[in-house]
Amino acid sequence: MYAESQVASAAPRLPGKLPLTATLLLLGALAASAAPWFLERDPVSVVSAFWSYDGGDYTSVLAHFSWAPRVSIALLIGCGLGLAGAVTQQVLGNPLASPTTLGVEAGGQFGVTLATLFAPALLAFSQDLVAVAGGLLAIGMVIALTWRLGFSPVTVILAGLVITFFMGALNMAFMLIKGEWLGNLFIWGAGSLVQNSWQPFMDLWPRVLILGAALVLLMRPLQLLQIGQASASSLGARVGLLRMLALFLVVLMSATVVSRVGVVAFVGLAAPVLARLLGARTLQERLIWSMLLGGGLLLLADTLAHWASSWGDGSLVPTGTTTALIGGPIILLALQGFKNTHHMPGQESNPGAFLPKRRSVLVTGAVLLCLLLATFFVSMGWSPGLQEWSWTPIADWGEAWVWRGPRLLAAILAGVCLGLAGSLIQRMTGNVMASPELLGISGGAALVMVLIVLTGTEIGRAGQLGAATLGAAGALGLLILLARRHRFAGNQLLLGGLALYVFMDSGLRLVMASGGTVAAKLLNWMYGATWLISETEALSLLGLTLVICLTLFVAIRPLTLLALGDTSASSLGLPVTRARLGLLILAAILTAAATVVIGPLSFVGLIAPHLARVLGQQTVGRQMIGSALAGGLLLALADYLSRIVIFPSQLPAGLLAALVGGIYFLWGLSRHGRA
Amino acid sequence: MSTSSPFTTPRFTNLLARIAAGLCLLLLSAMAAAQTWQHEQGRVSLDKPPQRIVALNWAATEALLLLGVTPVGVADKSGYATWVREPMLPDHVPNIGTRVAPSLEAIAELEPDLIVTSSEMAPAAVLLHQIAPTYVSSVYKKGARPFAKARQMLITLAEMLDRADRAREILADIDTTLANQRRRLEAYGVHKRSVALVSFLDDRHVRIFAPNGLYQTTLDGLGLDNVWPHEGNYWGFSTVGLEAIAPYPNGRIVVIEPTRPGLSDKLAQSPFWTYLPAVQRNQVYQIEPVWPFGAVFPVKRLAIQLTDALIQGGADNVR
Repeated sequence: MYAESQVASAAPRLPGKLPLTATLLLLGALAASAAPWFLERDPVSVVSAFWSYDGGDYTSVLAHFSWAPRVSIALLIGCGLGLAGAVTQQVLGNPLASPTTLGVEAGGQFGVTLATLFAPALLAFSQDLVAVAGGLLAIGMVIALTWRLGFSPVTVILAGLVITFFMGALNMAFMLIKGEWLGNLFIWGAGSLVQNSWQPFMDLWPRVLILGAALVLLMRPLQLLQIGQASASSLGARVGLLRMLALFLVVLMSATVVSRVGVVAFVGLAAPVLARLLGARTLQERLIWSMLLGGGLLLLADTLAHWASSWGDGSLVPTGTTTALIGGPIILLALQGFKNTHHMPGQESNPGAFLPKRRSVLVTGAVLLCLLLATFFVSMGWSPGLQEWSWTPIADWGEAWVWRGPRLLAAILAGVCLGLAGSLIQRMTGNVMASPELLGISGGAALVMVLIVLTGTEIGRAGQLGAATLGAAGALGLLILLARRHRFAGNQLLLGGLALYVFMDSGLRLVMASGGTVAAKLLNWMYGATWLISETEALSLLGLTLVICLTLFVAIRPLTLLALGDTSASSLGLPVTRARLGLLILAAILTAAATVVIGPLSFVGLIAPHLARVLGQQTVGRQMIGSALAGGLLLALADYLSRIVIFPSQLPAGLLAALVGGIYFLWGLSRHGRA
Repeated sequence: MSTSSPFTTPRFTNLLARIAAGLCLLLLSAMAAAQTWQHEQGRVSLDKPPQRIVALNWAATEALLLLGVTPVGVADKSGYATWVREPMLPDHVPNIGTRVAPSLEAIAELEPDLIVTSSEMAPAAVLLHQIAPTYVSSVYKKGARPFAKARQMLITLAEMLDRADRAREILADIDTTLANQRRRLEAYGVHKRSVALVSFLDDRHVRIFAPNGLYQTTLDGLGLDNVWPHEGNYWGFSTVGLEAIAPYPNGRIVVIEPTRPGLSDKLAQSPFWTYLPAVQRNQVYQIEPVWPFGAVFPVKRLAIQLTDALIQGGADNVR
């Protein structure tokens, strides 16, 4: 069930001696960080800045109270997170596990946001407490969901990712409503190591030391895990308890860090991956070197962030941005060692076990269609006004259509597109967890939008659409390049998409830290501002969707054949690679069209196809019809709710969809596990 | 008493009435000839001064209130009282949603005859035009000079509302205020040292207001130098770590409220702050909230607050 030994030996190795690299990294980072100071002060006083200062010389005060604590805290936190990451990977036997990928950091952030808004007193009492609670909640959810699947690596990461998005969406909902007040949370969400006294370091080091020591004490029992669960149990180790304890300590460590300096993502992932790539074999080696590499990496990232701030116009570049930039390549590196044989969710040998009862496509389709029409009627007619709720008579619908129609139509179409794209991708990859969102196609579109906002360019809707399509196509191209070696097999695509999100995330962090107003605007788009859709745009989207639907009729046969496996498909006369490529492009267009309307994080592409299957639509064509209708229904509801829940303010519709979608996904995952 | 003056003869009255009617017609036709204004995303034509105006950002809200026109709907109404404060927004004005995502339906319900917005709403321009003539003016956008843009927006709005005199008065008043406050500063001899305008985000980070922002107009008018040499984002500020102000030891620090509770304690415990030259010289000044992303009025408000604070003398910490 646990694949740890396999993971350890499967990793390719970079050349170079581990101690040498680690030392070079640490010394290099230190030197880089100290470089500006050497220009101003003699070497002795630079070093002595760590313990003394001269009150009469402000440069010395600055070195002692700003630079030295920043370096110290970067090393401390880096070491702590590196160690936590290595332990997480060991406990879960998962080369991609880390506090970030398990949602612990997002959970901690969620806790602090909630406390800032609703219980400032609690926050003043202990910031750690709320962060730890949030972190525990997140990892608890991940564990509960993946328990029955035996913590298989990809499932755990997917669940962690969805929890991260889900909590991120909740966070955003609060930030959008209360944005003016949360300027500091924006920075904090991006992770800033700026220091102006030794107090935070003094607070932090005993905690990190104690937690670190506890984790190291667990090393011996953890080592037993390496020989496999069965053998460990027979040696008297209480495996389950041990894992829980270790994970609890990991949560404490990451949440303590998060509550003080904000979300410094991916250090806990990068350090152990790097240690393994550099040839750390035994558990002992991995723990020690992960810790040291973590310290070096974070100091380096922080120095880069600091340099970037001083080179530019002086405005802050948060450290979380640079660490997130490291995260993407690291995931890709880790993927290289990821064997294709790993157990994937949705690739059970016996999928028949949880196939729901087949139902007539006519009945199911008709029911979905009726629900969709009902939503349409209510959305058009029953609406809040500045004074009271009122029912708009059908005679006045022509007028109401202007405000309610295009956005509703566009939302439905976006749902249809995502439902279709999701079905396509799930069929192609043979994986029910695949979707445009998780594959990073939406992420690619979003990344381009983030860049546009970062550069401050004003473009109209047409520009947005073009840019998003380019982004989606770019992401897709990248995925094709990455996955070509694996003949477009599911796993690599899925995790490659994850890496794309990480890049997008780093851009988002930068925008969020640089200014509340810009961020609010971007976040509104990221979570799907359907209200911006004009009638022309909605109608052109309708045209596009119809054309693609017609094209999809052609795609039913290849999709059916691909499900039989590559060998069978090509023996039946299907040019497998070309078929996959064509289908991918189709999926990209569908995704881009939907992303412009609803943003990248709605999860509709994930849950609509799943819903169709639950409703008993198994064959390709039927699943597509069911999934398109279900997707349309979901987003129609989301659009209606987004308009009415806090009238006259609005929530982005994609945000609501993401919340509903997240819950459904988590439920589906646990159900999946039971079956 | 029955005097028969020639001016009350029926014939004369009749004539008078006809002339008056003729004049009225002339006037009406002159007014009916729609006037057109060019703006950032096209042009807007108005037959008569608009009565029901909806403002989609606080800069527009402020400009309208200054001109003596209360909008029939504003965005983010509750925040206005906290962050902008002056000129006062009456309580009865309905809220039409947030500034980044106003409710089109609520706007339409108010049946406005003019909507004032900025190019931030560019993607929604078509939709807004369907509701009412829309005047687009962005005080804050890439490459714009906020005060010049705000001034132009005020003048154009005044023309539309037929209140050009009022706009001239407001602008003249701002100039006079700046000149008066400058004289006060010079009289007290507190005008020489440069200032850093900051607002605290937490105890480690501040927004520092840059030379391309609205506040620079106040500083220029008062003859004060801005400590911060870099351009900020197009809103006219940069988010920086507190240590970024350390390289400018000669400046005074002006802290714009609101500040978070507990900030002064945390700063007092940080030798980095207490050793800061400005802090050592007791040159930390604190002033009431002034909206940094407004139109023309914050320039005046800041000028008075800043002058008062500088004359009153600084402290060694925020309050």
